[in-house]
Amino acid sequence: MKNIILKTMLFLLAFTSTNLIAQDLFIKSDLEGLTMRLGDSFEPETYVENLNGEQFSCPYVYYYNKEGVYSRAESISYDRNNGEIKANAPGKHEVVAMCLGLQNDRLSRTFEVEVNYGKVSEITISLPQNNYVNTYLPINFEVVDEVGFKRDGQKLNLTSNSQILSIDGSNNVKALMPGTAKLTAELDGVSATVELTVIKNPLSSIELNSNLDVARTGDVVRYSAKGYDLKGNEIKNLPFKYTFYGKSFDVSESANGTMLNDGRFVAEEPGNYSISVNLGDVSASKPLRVVARDIQREVFRVGNTVVPDKRTSDFWIFEGVDGRDYAVTGTHSADGTAFFWDVTDPTNMKKIDSIKVDARTVNDVKVSQDGKIAIISREGASNRKNGIFILDVTNPYDVQVLSEYTKNLTGGVHNLFIDNDHAYVLGSGERYYVLNIEDPKNPLEVGVFGLGKEEQSIHDVWIEDGIAYSSNWKDGLYMVDVGNGIAGGSPSNPVAFSNYTYASGANHAAFPFKSKSTGTFYVVLCDEIFPNGVTLTEPELTAGFCHFVDFTDLDNPVEIAKFEVPGTGSHNLWIEDDVLYVAMYGGGVRVVDISGDLVGDLFRQDREIGYTMTGSPNGFIPNATMSWGAQVYKGYVFYSDMHSGLGVAKVSEQKPDTSNANQYIERAGIPD
Amino acid sequence: MKKLIFFLLLSSFVFGKEYYIYIASESDDTVSLIMFDGKNATEIERIPVGVKFSEIEGPHGITIDPSGDYWYLSLAHGNPYGSLTKFSTKTNKAIARTELGIFPATMQISNLTGLLYCVNFKLHGLMTPSTVSVVDPNTMIEITKIETGIMPHGSRISSDGRHQYSVAMMSGELYEVDAVSLKVSRVLKLDEMHMNHGDEMHMNHENHMFHSKVQPTWVTPHPSEPKVYVTGNVSNEIIEVDTNEWKIIRRFKTAGKAPYNTDISSDGSHLVITLKGEGKTEIKNLKTGKSKIVNNTTKVSHGVIISPDNKFAFVSVEGIGGEPGKLDVIDLRKARLVSSVEVGKQAGGIALWKIEE
Repeated sequence: MKNIILKTMLFLLAFTSTNLIAQDLFIKSDLEGLTMRLGDSFEPETYVENLNGEQFSCPYVYYYNKEGVYSRAESISYDRNNGEIKANAPGKHEVVAMCLGLQNDRLSRTFEVEVNYGKVSEITISLPQNNYVNTYLPINFEVVDEVGFKRDGQKLNLTSNSQILSIDGSNNVKALMPGTAKLTAELDGVSATVELTVIKNPLSSIELNSNLDVARTGDVVRYSAKGYDLKGNEIKNLPFKYTFYGKSFDVSESANGTMLNDGRFVAEEPGNYSISVNLGDVSASKPLRVVARDIQREVFRVGNTVVPDKRTSDFWIFEGVDGRDYAVTGTHSADGTAFFWDVTDPTNMKKIDSIKVDARTVNDVKVSQDGKIAIISREGASNRKNGIFILDVTNPYDVQVLSEYTKNLTGGVHNLFIDNDHAYVLGSGERYYVLNIEDPKNPLEVGVFGLGKEEQSIHDVWIEDGIAYSSNWKDGLYMVDVGNGIAGGSPSNPVAFSNYTYASGANHAAFPFKSKSTGTFYVVLCDEIFPNGVTLTEPELTAGFCHFVDFTDLDNPVEIAKFEVPGTGSHNLWIEDDVLYVAMYGGGVRVVDISGDLVGDLFRQDREIGYTMTGSPNGFIPNATMSWGAQVYKGYVFYSDMHSGLGVAKVSEQKPDTSNANQYIERAGIPD
Repeated sequence: MKKLIFFLLLSSFVFGKEYYIYIASESDDTVSLIMFDGKNATEIERIPVGVKFSEIEGPHGITIDPSGDYWYLSLAHGNPYGSLTKFSTKTNKAIARTELGIFPATMQISNLTGLLYCVNFKLHGLMTPSTVSVVDPNTMIEITKIETGIMPHGSRISSDGRHQYSVAMMSGELYEVDAVSLKVSRVLKLDEMHMNHGDEMHMNHENHMFHSKVQPTWVTPHPSEPKVYVTGNVSNEIIEVDTNEWKIIRRFKTAGKAPYNTDISSDGSHLVITLKGEGKTEIKNLKTGKSKIVNNTTKVSHGVIISPDNKFAFVSVEGIGGEPGKLDVIDLRKARLVSSVEVGKQAGGIALWKIEE
């Protein structure tokens, strides 16, 4: 019976459809002019009308919330089961109604639906107990509506019953004189009032101290303030405000810097600065002379082994079992080749062997700590199984394949790491699998780590001291115990214990380091961004930078500094002895002084020691620098470049030779 | 002058049609626009489609808008989701992109609903059911995902636009989606079952015990009859399914190993099958059952489309490693390779844009 009804309906539908073809039809809906309240649901009635006003019902109607030009949003969601739309976010939203099955092609129309907040149910005002004359009050307001939504960014009507407060047009509240006052915040007829006390500024003077009076650009100067009353007694726990003023030595530059609430200041430009601290109308200042950091050194290229016919990808330098030094390099978008090099003499590096597997890209290559085992990753295998190849490199002049491993890795392996008889291999960029490779001919999966959610995406993993640092794009950095013991983890039982995310969502690589000069533990997280996609015909533009995150408190990591080179983006990095070596794609390999405290924009602080452009006239694309990564090894800076292959540079003790500079350059010296 | 006029007339007569084909190269992040003049295939343009220079996004499926004004390309890899990009056929520049599921692959647009249906192949990772993404190509917004089987592939629309068909490679199922209600309407198991009911009950998606011995990779609806042809990639067969009765009516072995994609002539008389494991293409007469085999110019035959005039089959061939991909053109009447042109590595997705007289 059901079949008969269905067939009849389909016949009628087909008949109707035939008759409606080529008519001018328009969607009509009570979505037009609809206003909803946040949290409410609504079942729209949508139908179709022709030019004569005849109405037709839609066999199937589908709704979705469109945001901008090409994005779907969930500000208004659609439940197909009950045919209702639901308002999830305030504002004006576009809802597309689609009528399917009435005629060839779909009919659709976009309606603007306004969602208003629910009625305000509660306003909460919070502010400190002690408020001082001539200070702006640090007030927080929270507005919650009857459905429980917080209403952020609402302009409240503020009033006070007292002249001791002044309220400006932006709702800044200033304490003018001692006394008590009521402050009332009102919105949509609901109000809240707090009673507050303003006390006379107890301070007679402020003593401002610092650890430096003369600093270099990039030096973090620590200021501390003490407040005293008329009797000279110190008053503690005061909400001091720090500010700075400066004038650059160079009239073409601005005296920029970063001042933190806790009194740390770092200058970007040489010049004369004045650091001030105040509480109300009591203040103190201290001059600071900032000179050039003057740490630039010559970075010169020692050697280069060009791979002219293929793009080069990652590389690894290692000491072989024979005590000589070797390198392995991968290839990208090519033919599945990995090359082996003798780099014992960096000025005369020699290609000594190669392995070719069924793949297009060997993106990552790593070697075990004992120099015996190498693993190469595989993407673009013709059988789509991809995975990894484990190689015997005890004789790098005659590399042998020990095994191929593809389980769970069919989508392609982009990155991997080897640590203490275990390989950490990214499977399809979603999770990493831990393989025991004690018997490299028979690797055995012993563990897996993923973020445990649908949208997980892991790009890279790096192991140090039993901790896996994975870079997870928009999920940022995950620190995972794989044997350190800090969280009871092991290779077969990886346990995450810390995470940090940041807004761009472009976390591509990570490198941990404990500052030798300060003892602070950081992880440096570098982006990878191609803002214009891939052109093939023009130099590829890159963007993004390296984020310095202070992990002293693992539960509350703080992003404190960055290294960003204007016009180019970051890729892979290495840190040794408080120096950062980072491949900045078209910007070459950059060498950066990261000693001491770190705050603010390290590039603008002139912390860059030097750089080398890694392109080669004989490269895959001649002279086009596209630096992939850097590794410091026995005093040399090895690097790979997508177009030029494997290279090596040295950071000289010499200052850069500026004798050919075509303009007068003067740098302030380091003070005695 | 007379000779020139005669030559032009002759050229017009002999080489009167120009076929324009887009072909995607999965390991080069490029799409090639090919023109075939009846004799020679020429690469007119190679279009970069990647997002990150240092990563391979893997362009996989390609289809043309019914208007001919746009082409759509699925990029398999993302973070973690792949995407769908809309390009203008006038400029071959990207116009819009939207995120789909994991490893979006093949797709088509229904001429009934105007919506685009793209399977999320989910080639890698855990073997769990994946989805078909339904996209409004006007706004380039994914309006819903419809859950189907494990590793869905071969999204093809019935000629009336009413149904979308795909096969679940690992769970061995044929899925029919109602293109209008956007719901799965029917599922058909493709493996030959030799077990009792109790066994079957345990072979579900949750315990992932079942691995199809058919491993279907493609489905092609018949242009005029209620049939679809499913490609059994591992069982080396074509499975003919009656879509009225929703049952398998015929299985026939292919002429070689690992059949992968198919296309059917517009009169429904011939099925062209790429034999991925052989580097060959099979031309099957569906009435007589006889086949002719054409060697492809390189290994790993992948996609195939038949020109609407039924004269030519255009086959994408992947190649291995550093080898270039190829577009092979086969004269269907002579069952002979007539032209081949190099494209980017691992050529796969293929679509006919237009024929110009």
